[in-house]
Amino acid sequence: MNLLVVVVFAVTLGAWAQNVEVRLEPGDGSRLGDWAQASVPLRLKPTGPQDVKFDGPSLATALWGEFALGQAKYAVLLGTRATGEVNLWVDRNRDRRLTTDEGQAGTAGPGRSTWSVSLRAEPSGGEPYTYALSILWPEGRGYVYLLGGAPKVGTLIVDQRSYRLAFLDGDLDGVYGTKGDFYAVDVDGDGVFYADPDGHERFELGETFTVGDKTYRLAQVAPSGTFVRVAPTVYAPPKPALIPGHPAPDFRFTSLVEDRSLALSDFRGKVVLLDFWATWCGPCMNELPHLKDLHAKYRGQGFEIVGVSLDIYPAELKRVVEGEGLAWPIAFEGKQWDNSLALMYRVYQIPTSYLLDRKGVIRYRDLHGGELEQKIMELLAEGSAQAPEAVPLPPVVLPAGPPRSILELNLPPRAGLVARGKTQTTLQLVNTSPYEAEEVKVLVQNLPAGVKAQEVEVGNIPPFGERTVTLAFEAQDLPTALPAGLVLVVYHYCIGDACFQMVDKGELAWVVGREAPVRASWNPWWVLVAVGVALLAAWALKGRLLVVVLVLLVVGGSLALALGIRRGQARQAERVGATLCTSCVGIEEAPRRQVALSAQARSILATLTRRVRVTVFYTAWCKSCPYVKAVVQAMAQVNPLVEVELVDAEGEPARAEAAGVLRAGRLVVPATVVAGSGQVLFGADNIEDRVLQQLVRVGR
Amino acid sequence: MRLRQVRRVAQGLGVVLAFLGVAGIGMTHVIYPGLHCYACPWAVTVCPVGLLQNLVIARTVPLYFVGALTLYGVALGRGWCGWFCPFGTLNDLLAFRRRRFGKGLTATKFAVLVGTVIVAWRVADSWFCKLCPEASLVASLPYLGMGLAQVNTPFLIHMGTLAGTLVGMVLVARFWCRYLCPMGALLSLFNRVSLFGLRVEGERCTACGVCGRVCPMGIEPHRDINSTDCIKCGRCVTGCPTRALSLGFSLPGKEGRDPLRRPRARPRADGVSSHQ
Repeated sequence: MNLLVVVVFAVTLGAWAQNVEVRLEPGDGSRLGDWAQASVPLRLKPTGPQDVKFDGPSLATALWGEFALGQAKYAVLLGTRATGEVNLWVDRNRDRRLTTDEGQAGTAGPGRSTWSVSLRAEPSGGEPYTYALSILWPEGRGYVYLLGGAPKVGTLIVDQRSYRLAFLDGDLDGVYGTKGDFYAVDVDGDGVFYADPDGHERFELGETFTVGDKTYRLAQVAPSGTFVRVAPTVYAPPKPALIPGHPAPDFRFTSLVEDRSLALSDFRGKVVLLDFWATWCGPCMNELPHLKDLHAKYRGQGFEIVGVSLDIYPAELKRVVEGEGLAWPIAFEGKQWDNSLALMYRVYQIPTSYLLDRKGVIRYRDLHGGELEQKIMELLAEGSAQAPEAVPLPPVVLPAGPPRSILELNLPPRAGLVARGKTQTTLQLVNTSPYEAEEVKVLVQNLPAGVKAQEVEVGNIPPFGERTVTLAFEAQDLPTALPAGLVLVVYHYCIGDACFQMVDKGELAWVVGREAPVRASWNPWWVLVAVGVALLAAWALKGRLLVVVLVLLVVGGSLALALGIRRGQARQAERVGATLCTSCVGIEEAPRRQVALSAQARSILATLTRRVRVTVFYTAWCKSCPYVKAVVQAMAQVNPLVEVELVDAEGEPARAEAAGVLRAGRLVVPATVVAGSGQVLFGADNIEDRVLQQLVRVGR
Repeated sequence: MRLRQVRRVAQGLGVVLAFLGVAGIGMTHVIYPGLHCYACPWAVTVCPVGLLQNLVIARTVPLYFVGALTLYGVALGRGWCGWFCPFGTLNDLLAFRRRRFGKGLTATKFAVLVGTVIVAWRVADSWFCKLCPEASLVASLPYLGMGLAQVNTPFLIHMGTLAGTLVGMVLVARFWCRYLCPMGALLSLFNRVSLFGLRVEGERCTACGVCGRVCPMGIEPHRDINSTDCIKCGRCVTGCPTRALSLGFSLPGKEGRDPLRRPRARPRADGVSSHQ
């Protein structure tokens, strides 16, 4: 036994001795590259933390937020003065008072304002350190982005060779080594970190890296980022580089169209466009006609497309492939991001494409339109004998990290089932991001035998919005053992032209009841009638009988209140109070005239050359909203480049709030937002001219 | 004297609750037990009359509204007008003259209430809000200051109703509460059965009429106690020379809560009850 302890101790000591410590110093994020600037959205609210006070100038609107760097919490106030000037205050000294001297000097760009601030992070178990942060506000939005990540850099020495190592606080929580953080190692020693989300020199915390013939893993990370310790581990081949000039990793797949096994290397001698796409990805589908044209035009000269579909449902993919008549091989596994080819190519957003030359070397990536055609022609002209030239690196336009879930799934602790009966359970989906979750579907798998559940189509969930989903179950005879069900939430979201398909999962435990709950069906009008009758009786009765009336009123009133709350009427009341219709409260008059765009307005609209989205926020009872809706719809008819979106502000308050349709704590309708203008146009007064002005600014 | 001070504190609380949004609190689900526009930038509660119109327009069975109003009514009845409502408080502050004026017109407020509901039903618009002088004061004017409102026809209509009401308040005590307030009309339905109310001791009452002279609502409490117009402000209680009137919580129907059923015996000149 003692010998065993000694051996274990010796092995542990030996392993410890092989660990390599890398001291880290603060690095310059702007010199490291775009990957070294992490971004996290921070939602702002009209009300601040209860204990934070603001001693500053009077503000027309105020939006509050709070974030933590380790144990240090910082309150943020984004205030707009009556003059329209926007200021940001950060509680730098954390005394829960925002004072004038805590206002930050910012820079305003087109449609955005940015403030730089130097704060102190206090990680638990580590030394406090200085944390440089930028705060970016897309104008008119109900959120800001925290930008930074406080990169730390150091040098790792292996076999007398030195490799640079960088560590990033990717989740901007002020603590290194927590979920969302990552590191980069310049494994090829060329002085550049290829650490974009699909870069071969970027590594997640649990990922190993290989330098020379040795593979290492992270053994320890100092919470304040002063050092990391790496330990040798089992050799793993290095990640292939997916940058121009490097050979494209080969793979084998079964073509969906021809139903035969193919390899990428089978196309050696041809110029190949390797295209990762899906039918649910709007930008990918928009690109399809162009790809079809290119394929038809250059196929005879040695051009081929290899598509890798990240779809889930084969029927949907086949419908598109057959409907569009796609004649190139398409790989399909039905695993979305877990598709082995997508994993091999570290695809984290689609569309993603690589253009390979006749030797199978990556030459370009993410080319579209005329530029793609030109490069195809160039590569076809090169001929197979010509060696690839040194190709400049493409510009990095990758904005975010790998696809991550944006929906929070709140499941009930248990869902009820009854034999030979129907039951329901509700779950909540909360969008935690400023991106719209599109085509959200909820389905349940692993259902017990004899239980059926319908797939629920939720539709889109706006930024920071939430939805309650009701799942209905129908059961026959139930077995005694009920394994947990698996709730799948399938959706996708897009950031700019990059789209991500997600499947979030949750477990659903079952509880078996004897019979289906019977819902009492009675008309709540009777409660109101009872109250009315009691009031009439109060006029007619005298003396002690009035006590009976009083009891009736208390019971009737309480019942009505409880029923009203249960039916969501308290929330309705709050929404009525929180939404302000400019014509309803007499801030302006609701226009009752017919919409007629002037000839001048039509000619101005005809000059728009870029697609512009115009969103009108309205409520059902707003009197001037129909007019505003009609105006923007008339504009869209004149020029189809004007895309109109109508949003019920009452139904989607979070979205309206995120769009900045908020004044003095109220959602104000009608409100018109021309995407990219950074302004919200309230009311219907002179709305034609005001929208036109913004369209001209953005759409030309 | 003490009663008056307690009432002033309660009215102060009403004003504080009305403008609690100044402290950075957002809109809540609570219905305000008085008239206070939810469009006010600092309002944290929902105006009952504004909500009623919206419920009518949305064709919602108003369970939450009726429930809250019934409980408010059962508790204080129109006591909310006299003790809590900030617009009622403004009426008090401007009551420089206690002129009696058109007693028969007090039913107008019921017409305003019914008209508000009918218009909301038929036109699907909250027309009362467009005319409401309280909204003029606490919403239109602040929004003008914030640059969200403009001096246009609706704004001028608001200012017109506000000016007219203010003049009325100066000339006639509790002008708004007496003749026009739809919230007052709603609460008045509960006046007879509310727990908070006036009581009169018939033996002590000499029918001297002092209570009627001091009453801001122009009623004669000793004859028509807890009438629909009584806002339970307690002026009559402090004014009564024989202390025949009292104000507090009691069950409806208790002796002294209802108007006197039969004329009392002529009081003795020395004020001593004939029972004694």
